[in-house]
Amino acid sequence: MTIAATDRVLSVTLRIARFTPKPERAGRRRGGSPFGSKSPFGGSDAGARSNRVRGKRWTQDYVVSAHASDSVLDCLLAVKREQDPSLAFRYSCGHGMCGSDAVAINGTPTLLCTAKVRDWAKPDAPEYANEDGFRPTGEPLDSSDRAIDLDALAPGTPLVIELAALPGFPTRRDLIADIDPMLDQIRRLKPYLQASGDLKTTPNGKVDAFEYLQNPDQLKRYELLSNCIACGVCEGSCPVYAGGEAFVGPAAMILSSRFLNDSRDGAGAERLAALMAPDGSAACQSVRACSMHCPKGIDVGEELWQTIQKVDAAKAALK
Amino acid sequence: MGRRRPRPHPTAPKAMVRACATIEGMSPKQLEKHYDAVIVGAGAAGLSASLGLLRSKAFDRMRQEGRSPKILVLSKLQPLRSHTGSAEGGIAASLGNVEHDDWHWHLYDTIKGSDWLADQDMAAILAENAPATVIGLEHDGVAFSRTGDGHIAQRLFGGHTAEFGRQPVHRTAYAADRIGHQILHSLWQQCVKEGVEFAEEWYVSDLVVERDGDGMGHARGLVVLDTHTGKVHGIEASNIMLATGGAGRLFHTTSNSWDLTGDGMALALEAGLQLEDIEFVQFHPTGLAHTGILLSEAARGEGGRLLNADGEHFMDRYAPGHGDLAARDVVSRSIMAEVDAGRGVADPKDPDGPRDCVWLDLRALGRDVLEERLPEVCETVRQYAGLDPAEDLIPIKPTAHYTMGGIPINADGNVYEWADGERRPIEGLYAAGECSCVSVHGANRLGANSLLDACLFGTRAGAALAARIEAAQPHDDGADDASPAVADAADARRHIIETLLKPSSPAGSDSAGDGASDASDDNAYRLMADLGALMERHAAVRCDHDGLAEALGAIERTLTPRGDRLVAHSDTAAYNQEVTAILEVRHLLTVAQAMLAASDARHESRGALFRRDFPERDDEGFLAHSMTDARHAVSWQPVVITDYPPKSRAY
Repeated sequence: MTIAATDRVLSVTLRIARFTPKPERAGRRRGGSPFGSKSPFGGSDAGARSNRVRGKRWTQDYVVSAHASDSVLDCLLAVKREQDPSLAFRYSCGHGMCGSDAVAINGTPTLLCTAKVRDWAKPDAPEYANEDGFRPTGEPLDSSDRAIDLDALAPGTPLVIELAALPGFPTRRDLIADIDPMLDQIRRLKPYLQASGDLKTTPNGKVDAFEYLQNPDQLKRYELLSNCIACGVCEGSCPVYAGGEAFVGPAAMILSSRFLNDSRDGAGAERLAALMAPDGSAACQSVRACSMHCPKGIDVGEELWQTIQKVDAAKAALK
Repeated sequence: MGRRRPRPHPTAPKAMVRACATIEGMSPKQLEKHYDAVIVGAGAAGLSASLGLLRSKAFDRMRQEGRSPKILVLSKLQPLRSHTGSAEGGIAASLGNVEHDDWHWHLYDTIKGSDWLADQDMAAILAENAPATVIGLEHDGVAFSRTGDGHIAQRLFGGHTAEFGRQPVHRTAYAADRIGHQILHSLWQQCVKEGVEFAEEWYVSDLVVERDGDGMGHARGLVVLDTHTGKVHGIEASNIMLATGGAGRLFHTTSNSWDLTGDGMALALEAGLQLEDIEFVQFHPTGLAHTGILLSEAARGEGGRLLNADGEHFMDRYAPGHGDLAARDVVSRSIMAEVDAGRGVADPKDPDGPRDCVWLDLRALGRDVLEERLPEVCETVRQYAGLDPAEDLIPIKPTAHYTMGGIPINADGNVYEWADGERRPIEGLYAAGECSCVSVHGANRLGANSLLDACLFGTRAGAALAARIEAAQPHDDGADDASPAVADAADARRHIIETLLKPSSPAGSDSAGDGASDASDDNAYRLMADLGALMERHAAVRCDHDGLAEALGAIERTLTPRGDRLVAHSDTAAYNQEVTAILEVRHLLTVAQAMLAASDARHESRGALFRRDFPERDDEGFLAHSMTDARHAVSWQPVVITDYPPKSRAY
């Protein structure tokens, strides 16, 4: 059964947590570096500013008409074209490869372009709550369970999708979050191949293969990890990461794990040592929320657990 | 859990902070008054150039002498978002890991694929240096798929043959179907290692080229918009390299990301320079219907077949012996011919819609092979069409994929202009990748040659930049030799952006009545969609003079004036995407006109350009590169032919 047969046009409200930064006064402009004391863009007080930008926050509803199989990104692009060109959200490739468009949909971090209306629209009614009066926020793992049964809904039931910027990071404007902290943390863990440089040679010393040899089984040990697109969904899902510097974060650790598992890499000991720092593997609390919506299907929590065990073993060996 | 876990420490450990002291933050801590080189774009070409520069012997020597050249890489995107990451199929090189291969065969295939419009000296550089380029990428960390004995695996790909066209050859190195992702991330990772300084989400609005007394061009600098603050900066630079990618967003149905708006090409045109062979746009035959999202050519390389509404495997009729693996333009035109003949199918998502698709049949591959070799293709089909490739036929349609033409460059990436029958270099201006045209793709690019072009000629351009920086006197920041041209251009742009944010009077109010409301209702996103539809109607896959003239007229009379009247709907400058979009759509309009003018000037059909009114190739008249400027003046530069005289391009 394909979905095309059941595809239908729905009227959906996009409920968006909006934010417009307050125009900056001269001498208090924001630079890109949160640490830089000498900013080319403003005065010497740059280091003192808070990470929380001042500005106007409000919630805005847009009603769109969408196919059940359309992506939430399709809906937002229609809003930009037809209703409000000032709405800000990052997007680029539109098919889950570039990693630009991680946001919170109904409170859950995921990508706009891979999220389908049919999977995320929910009845828009104040009574949509359980008997204790709590509105459900988390979403079940299986997307077919998450999808509402369109046939079971009373005709005319209003539908809503709630959108907010990726949690765990400062919001800059509307759905745009500042993920620089994640990229800085990724950079700290030396996220590049550190190979010995030795090539396979013949018995008389001639180079026999110019590439570093790696058999398919060795490739398999890190191939999935190397598919990480650094979108930040795992970071936004992590309750420890929220808040920043205390935990280097699942994305940086996944990239470190990628190289730990790459047979070509010779810096394993240093990588494990770097993860022994207090913000490294010890900060992970194995909540495993990071696994829930990885767009590349990486079981982030399990991979981190594997790496943590390696770090612990290396630590024990040091004693 | 039995393991004891220390509480998270409230601050980052000091050792880690120290380790990254040089590369903290995503924007330059301090914008220099003058740069030795500014590289625009952080995809395969821009990153390759950065590495080519930093790893060159010239750069080493400068470091040893205590010189520290100031180099900045600008990107309108965040790191790792560049469209390189979407490339699926592979990168071609005659490594011979699977079967015997020879770079001369790769050269011949590239030339034949180009319909003999490639410059053969440049194509020879491409083919001969391809193996070293791929090995270099492997050393940089790319997770290539492997043969059983651990070598880089290679697959079949359309147009790649052994023995000068005799039979298909396994030449294309790949990483499942994510080669672009692997290359983009590995190059960025190496740039992190080298400490490359990036300015992210900075948009270049102007390229400043000055003419000397002899009329020779000299690159002086750039005007950039920091989209985080909305602030405009003039940046002076001795050397500038453009690596901004293609212009797929000229068309409604495109595999390109939303950011491929031809910025570098438009910057060159607006600076008074020309574009080479800009009429040649490759339409990838297998765009997933009505999304334009690409289904990799690997789908056909692994055995996928195209079927028309009658279930006929029609490619054997159009390209006997090559069938579904014929060159992309041949397959795209064959699909359009089937659709025109009434043998197209409708997208199942829109069963009453136009029958403008054909089927891609992957069912014979079986679920296991599909999941192992084409995981991204399967995922895309499931996600965006709701179909199961192991069970269902997949609707596909040609999608704008690659601009063969672009900013003319020589073998070192130096931009030149064609004037009075000779190449005149623009001092200090470089380009590489899809925005450029070194002319290895000619009228049609072979699959798996684009990443190769971007990495190989990007690296060469980087090395050329290093040599130029080394040869020049170190720039004296104290000297007051700055050209006022950059500051003037920055002032002008600052004024334009202030006007976009706070129009002094309602825009368009001079055209009484409908004007005012039109201007404030209109927006860049709608204009981009209208331009895409117009270009698709008149210039996609096939065209003729009447259609091209109509499109050009519509742009001049309607779309460009609309672009000029656009204003932003929010006056907050920080992260104002609409301001960027207005500049982008103006860039698109500039490139579209050059493309239409060049298409109209070429009275023949060659490679990806099919003129209904001139259906044959004409080597007497048009074995030449079109050189088109912003005034639509087209001149012709002869093709460099060394070893392979033109033959018919039969597949």
